[in-house]
Formats: sequence, C-alpha cells, structure tokens
Amino acid sequence: MENIKILLHDTQEYAKRCLNVKNKIYIGLLLIAFILQASNFQVQAKEFDYKSKEFEAAASQFMCTCGCGQDHFECDPKTCNLTIGFKEDIVEMMNKGWDKDKIREYYVNIYGEEILTAPEKSGFSLVAWVLPFAVLVIAGVAIFFIVRKWVKKKGPEELTSDIESVKDEVEEEILSSMIEEERKKYL
Amino acid sequence: MYLFANATIYVGLALAIYSLLIITLGISTKNQRLINSGKGGIIGILVCASMAMLSLFYLLATSQFQYEYVSDYTSSELPVIYKLTALWAGNSGSLLLWTFFLVLYTIMIAFSRKMRGNPMVPYISAILLGNIVFFFLILGFVAKPFILLDQVPIEGHGLNPMLQNPGMIIHPVTLYLGYVGLAIPFAFAMAALLLKNVDDFWIKMTRRWTIIAWLFLSLGNIFGGQWAYVELGWGGYWAWDPVENASFMPWLTATAFLHSVMIQERKNMLKIWNISLIITSYALTLFGTFLVRSGVLTSVHAFANSNLGLYFLIFMGVMVIGALYVLMSRYNLLKRSAGEFNSYMSKESSFLINNLLLVGAAFGVFWGTVFPLVSEAVRGTKVTVGMPFFNTVQAPILLSMMFVMAVCPLLAWQRSSLKNLKKNFLIPAILAVAAMALMVVLGIQKAWAVIGFGVIVLLFITHFLEFYRGVKARRKMTKEKVYLSLYRLMTKNRRRYGGYIVHIGIAFIAMGIIGSQNYDVQTMKTVNLGESIEVKDYRINYERLDQKKEGINDIVYAEMTVFKNGKRIGNIQPEKVFYGNWDQPSSEVGLITSLKEDLYVVLSDWEDDGKATFIVKVNPMIAWLWIGSFMIVIGSLFAVWNGKYQNITPRYTGVRKEVS
Repeated sequence: MENIKILLHDTQEYAKRCLNVKNKIYIGLLLIAFILQASNFQVQAKEFDYKSKEFEAAASQFMCTCGCGQDHFECDPKTCNLTIGFKEDIVEMMNKGWDKDKIREYYVNIYGEEILTAPEKSGFSLVAWVLPFAVLVIAGVAIFFIVRKWVKKKGPEELTSDIESVKDEVEEEILSSMIEEERKKYL
Repeated sequence: MYLFANATIYVGLALAIYSLLIITLGISTKNQRLINSGKGGIIGILVCASMAMLSLFYLLATSQFQYEYVSDYTSSELPVIYKLTALWAGNSGSLLLWTFFLVLYTIMIAFSRKMRGNPMVPYISAILLGNIVFFFLILGFVAKPFILLDQVPIEGHGLNPMLQNPGMIIHPVTLYLGYVGLAIPFAFAMAALLLKNVDDFWIKMTRRWTIIAWLFLSLGNIFGGQWAYVELGWGGYWAWDPVENASFMPWLTATAFLHSVMIQERKNMLKIWNISLIITSYALTLFGTFLVRSGVLTSVHAFANSNLGLYFLIFMGVMVIGALYVLMSRYNLLKRSAGEFNSYMSKESSFLINNLLLVGAAFGVFWGTVFPLVSEAVRGTKVTVGMPFFNTVQAPILLSMMFVMAVCPLLAWQRSSLKNLKKNFLIPAILAVAAMALMVVLGIQKAWAVIGFGVIVLLFITHFLEFYRGVKARRKMTKEKVYLSLYRLMTKNRRRYGGYIVHIGIAFIAMGIIGSQNYDVQTMKTVNLGESIEVKDYRINYERLDQKKEGINDIVYAEMTVFKNGKRIGNIQPEKVFYGNWDQPSSEVGLITSLKEDLYVVLSDWEDDGKATFIVKVNPMIAWLWIGSFMIVIGSLFAVWNGKYQNITPRYTGVRKEVS
C-alpha cells in the first residue's frame, strides 16, 4: 500500500512535472510566436522606402497602365490610384523574400509580356535585343571589306610616296591660311 | 475675322499650287519670267502664312471661344503667354507653325544673296513648295485651325498644366525649326541631283543648312529634357518616349552626314551615302510627325484624337520613293567620281566608323520604337519597349562613339603611321588610364562609369592637344601672343574648331548622363512638421505646410531649409498645383543646383496634421548637361558664322545657268 502511495505520489509528481514542462513549452512557443508577430508588426509599422534601390529593381520592371507612360517605380501615387495597390503588392512579395525575377515571373504569368517595360530576352522578343548589334556587326564587316577594296586600289609605290609626303597637317593649314590672308591684303 | 482667317489658308494654298506649277513650268521651258512670278508667289505665301499665324494669335489672346481651337486649348484665366503658346499645343495650330517656318526657310533660300543667279534656286523652291502645298492641304481640309462652334461655350477647356511651363515657349519652336530645317538639305540634295551637279558649292551650302537644322534639333531636345526634368517630378530628362526617339533619330543621321560629308569634300567619295543620309534624315522627320499624330504608339507627347498620321505616312512614302528614284537615276554619275583610301588607319576610316556607329544607334532607336508594332504584327502581343531596353542597347554604341570622337582629332588625313600614332596617343592614353585608376581609388567603381569617364578624359586631352599644337605651330611662325594666336587659329578654321567645341560640349553632356545615371541617390520619407530628412550630406528641415491660391489654381506647398554638412545652403519650396480646370495635379520641384549635384525635392503627399511625404533625390553632375548643351550652341554658331577672313561659300561653278 505504501508502495502504491509512493508510486501514486511519483506518478502525480511526474504528471505535475510533465505539466510544468508542457506549460513551459507552450509559454515558450507563445513567446516565440509573440516575438515573431511583434517583429512582423515592426516590419509593417516601419515606413517602406518606395525609392530604395531594391524596390526600384523590382518595380521598374513593370509599366503603369494609367497612361502616365512611366513604370511603377516612377509613377506618382498621388496622381495614380493604380500604382498604389501595385506598389503595396510588390512590397508584400519582397517581404515574403521574393526576388525581382520571381516577382517578374508572377506578373508575366498573369498579365503577359505586355506589362514589362522592356521585352523578354527570350523567344521572338530576343530579336529586339539582338538585331541592332547584329546589324552593326554586319555593317562593320561590310565597311572593312569596302575599305580594303579602296586601299587595294592604291599601288604599293603610291603608298610609299604617301608616307614621305605626310606633313604636319596643322602647320600646313596655318601656313596656307596666312598666305591667303596676305594675298587678300595686297592683291 | 472668320472669313479673313480662313482666307489666309485657302489663298495660301492657291498661291502655293500656283508657285509650284509656274516654277516647274519655268524650269522646263527655261523661262526666267515664270520663275520670277513663282518667287513672287512665295512672298504672297509668306504673307498668307504670317496672317494666319497672327489671326490665330489674336483669337487665342482674346479668348474667342467660338473657335473650336481656342476653346480646346485655352481658358480665360490662362496667362497671356500661355494663351499664345497654345498655338502649338494642338494639331492644327502646330501644323500652321510648321507651315510658317517652312515658308520662311523657302523665302530665305529663294531670295538669298549667296544663291543669287544660282540655277539650283528654282529646283529647291519647287521641292520646298511641294512640301508647302501638302501642309496647306492639311490645314485647309484635314486639321483646320479656324473652325467655328455651333454654340459659344462660356469657358474653354484650358491648357494641359504640363504645358504651362517656360519650356512650352521655346521647346516646340526650336524642335520645329530643326524638323523643318532638315527639309532644306533635302531640297538641296534633290536639286543637285536633278542638275547633275554635286560639287563643292553644294557641299558647303548643304552642310551649312544641316548645321543650322542640327543646332535647332539639338536645342529642341535639350529644352525638352530640361522641361521634363523640372516639370514631371521624376528627376529624369530623357525617357526614350517614341516621340523623343523620333527627334533623336534625325539628329543622329544628320550628325553622321556632317562628318561623312568631309570625306566627300576631301576625296570626292561617299556621294551616294551622303545623299542617302540626307534623305533618311528628312524622312525621319516625317516619320516622327507620323508617330505623334497617328496614335499608333503610346506617347506622352501624342496629340489627341488625331488621324493625321496616315497623311504623313503617305506623304513620306511619296517623297522617299521620289527621292530614291532621282538618286538611282543619277547613280552612274555619282559613282563615276569615286576615289580611294590610302590606309586602314586614317581620319577617313575613323569617319566611316563614326558613321557606322551613328547610323547604328539611329537604327537601334528606330528598331526599339517600332518593335511594339512588329511584335503585334508577328505574335499579336504589343510589348512595351522602354528605358531599360534603350539604355542597354544604346550605352555601348554611344560610348564607342565617344571613343571614336576622342581618337579622331589626332588621326591624320590620308594615313596615320605607327610612329604618328605613338607620338599622338601615348601621352593621352597613359593619362586616361591613370585617371581611370584614380577614379577606382576614389571610389568610382562601377565599370560603365569608369570606362565612360576614362573615355571622356581621353577626349578632353586629345582635344586640348589639338588646340595646343595649333597655337604652338602658329606662334612658331608668327610670334603672336598665346590668346591672339588661339583666336586667329580658331577664326581661320571655324568649322574645325567649332566642331571641337561641340565635341567638348557632348563630352560634358556625357559626363552628366554617366554621373546622374550611375550615382543618383533617392529616398521617399514621411515626416512631421519640424522633423528633417537626411540624404547623403544633406539635411532638409521640414518647417511649414501651407496652401495658397493663384487664379483658379490651388497650390499646396512646403517650406524647407536645406543644410549641407551642417551648413545652411538655402530654402526650397516644393509644390503641388491643383488646377481649376484640370483633373490631374502637377508637381513643382524644389531644386538646389551646384556643379557637383542637384538636390531635387518633390512634395508627394500630406495629411491634415501637417505630416507630409517627400521624394528627395540627389542627382550628380546634372549641371554639366546644361553646360554641355550651351557649348554645343556656341560651337555650332561658331562653325556657321561667316568670319571677316572667311568666304565660306565658294562661287557657284556648276552647270550652265539657264534659269535662277
């Protein structure tokens, strides 16, 4: 009986101890939750800088459709209601840890490529980026061959005499202009 | 008044058609009397265009709201200066201004002292008259400036607040003078081709007129940029808007022409290329007008409710096809006198690379501008091609352009030997690299900025050496004092040294662009009264928020004191203006400018308790943009000015004089 009492006492003690530990865990969890929540409140309470470089990187990718002709980074929330919500959504995504590419992907999936301030660098739109440089390279090569043709027209003898006849251009010009001036004065 | 004003348009049209026909007949029958009659007609057209302009000015200034145009673009409380500038705020008024400038230019050519007795005059006049007829047709039947309303409104719609800025007085006028001005080189080119005479006289005259048009086009873009900077509140000066692009493209091709024509002058080469550049520049001005007035692309500059674009597209097509036909028909003549190059490494070659880059840049801008239409046609998706695209594509091309500009002055005509290259470039190259290293040490570490500033340093050194060598050589022969020697050196070759001043101006502009694009700092802060915002070395105390009334407009403004490194440097008053007759408010920025940077403050939002939100930007080196622009103007004027010693225009020695 004594043994049973001791056992009961031990069990009660154990149960009490368990309860204490559980309570501590709950309290701990509650505390952690509270701290997290509080820090979250802090993030929301802290004013977001809509002109920060991070926000610019994300928001300047998207064109505002209010007719201002600007992107969502530049569009003034005072004169455009559309951009207010858009800016808030981007901040929310940034708070979730999304980078600018993920945000871009999200909006392109919803609105299509039309929402972007510049064409994608893939598919047909890649032509937009590549063509100016391709044209430059092709034209550059063409010019090289044309110049080569023009230079080849000159014989090697003529080239040698050219080297000998190269003078200081500026001096020559000054001299000729002075002669011209003197000529005008006396003739 | 209604009858008189409309009569000016229709009589002007009739006279333009008469003059065109009579001059054409005079050319074909070689009858000088007919030509003279046509020239008299041009004076009549100028009178009509002037009267039409004065009529519209009068109607706008006196708020005659029974006229649709006056009612659409003005209101009675609008300051008189903006009532007058409303002449170019709408479609028909701006086209009237265009027509007026075109007639003005035509009369300057037809009665020019330099062109007296020149058989090109009738041809040039006829080509310009063709343009004038088109514009009068548009004014008479499509975009009429003098339409009466059925009911007279008590008040007009008012002028868009964005347009109520001093920029409105000067930006459209200079831009139009540039646009219209490019029709003159085109007319010269066509006349020369028709007369089979692309000689030295043609080169000189065409270049002169191209510089004038180029200068106005530059001014138009600069004033536009300055206006955007202070008015729109986004702190930028160039947005790659389709219409901005439309004015930038002919600027690039005209710049290319001004350089490549030197090869034609020296070596009698590239005639076809040069004429093609002139045709392209002219066509691009019409293309720009098509963009603004057709509504095919979204633009802040676009005119409302306009279907005029189609007419401009058709006119552009007719003129370009006509020009190409004339060019092709003279192809053999132009090709016959082609010369050759002496070396791969010469000033001539560098001009070719310069042309490649300038025309390449123009193509890049064109391609980006029309790509939304291409994409829509091919895929059915109208993408936006905005600033990120143009900055990425144009930056390397224009930076390479700057490099060529830096190197070119020290290259010799004909050929540059290795010895010559070493002699000219070793010191500038070493100094430029040293400057780049110094920048990195001082904390400028962005690759584009370091390369860009390095190229600019190289440009300054090579250009300084050009002046230095010239003065030194001159002094060796004349023993003159330094300043006198410099003055005489420059005035004796205005074109070359004017060009160098323009180059230095471009370098300053590039400095401003690189600095402001790479090192701008901005923040958006909400503060209570009495609190301050800190950005970089600045502290901006927010002291007062108040409201005032100006006419029918309400203005909310903040008073702020600015400190830099603890020292007070001034007060600013950013404003938000609410217009009595316009929904959208506009921002007037608070600005403190220095050579180093601009402090740029926008009042964004506020609450009843005085708490307000400000956008604060520090834009480095912006002032250099405007200094560079000023130097471009000085350089261009210096280049075209007729000096005491200089007879810039040679005597006409072309084909036999028949009619002039």
